Amino acid sequence: MTDDKALQEMLHDPVRRNQGFRVLMKQYGQALYWHIRRIVVGHDDAEDVMQETCIKVLNGIGSFKGDGPLATWLYRTATNEALQHLRRQTHLFQSIDSLNGTLTAKLQAESSLDGNEAVTLFQQALLTLPTQQRIAFNLRYYDELSYEEIARITGKSVNTLKTNYHYATQKVKSYITEHLTK
Amino acid sequence: MKDLLNDIGKKMPYSESKEYLDGLIDRATEQAIKQHVTAKSRRRWAVTAASAAAVALLVISIGLTVMNNDSQRAAVTLQTEGPIDEFLGSLTDEEVAQLPYIEIEEIPEY
Repeated sequence: MTDDKALQEMLHDPVRRNQGFRVLMKQYGQALYWHIRRIVVGHDDAEDVMQETCIKVLNGIGSFKGDGPLATWLYRTATNEALQHLRRQTHLFQSIDSLNGTLTAKLQAESSLDGNEAVTLFQQALLTLPTQQRIAFNLRYYDELSYEEIARITGKSVNTLKTNYHYATQKVKSYITEHLTK
Repeated sequence: MKDLLNDIGKKMPYSESKEYLDGLIDRATEQAIKQHVTAKSRRRWAVTAASAAAVALLVISIGLTVMNNDSQRAAVTLQTEGPIDEFLGSLTDEEVAQLPYIEIEEIPEY
């Protein structure tokens, strides 16, 4: 795994930029894809957002000042692109949280038939959360990022994130318990 | 509940394999590089085209200014010749002979 400093040097060198970009995407690509997929749910949507993210990252590398880890910047770009993608599916004045029903339908359509039902139920529970809360939960639970890193990605305060994570966990547990007893 | 969460772990309910996703990421990477190169050459072309258009406009405007000045001079010349020509043309030979002929030297200096 190429360290951040070496990668940043490659990315800021016009001759080695493309090579550095390929290394960057090899290193973080899978994590970014799954982060995006957990937001937009559909595979085709995730592929589109992944493409937009790659373009934004390559075009924005020149302005990346290295005042934080590369991963934080990548996650922030991917999160913004995923949210933009969801916003394009809403009408004027409609919140992206109103898409949760549509996303749940996508989840059910795309869940593997031989998959674990509990895993699908867990994703369904997450889709009952407000989008921003869901994103923060995913970054903490799946990507195991610290609250400080999540704060840099989402722009929320650490205390807000800790409280939200606690409420989200409670809500997910209630949802799963309710659906398991049915 | 704890057992359930242990069972779920970090799994996702989708079937895309790691290898499939590696291919997807490679394609997205190469497409981004291709678009970046195309965008750079489009920007260079746009700057070149804009410069050429500016030079062409400058040349055309200089040409138009010159032509305009020439036609204005011609119009002034025609104007000044017109009435004099008309007057002289209207005179008979006897009338022309009676026109006072003033030598430049005869015009008194003030």
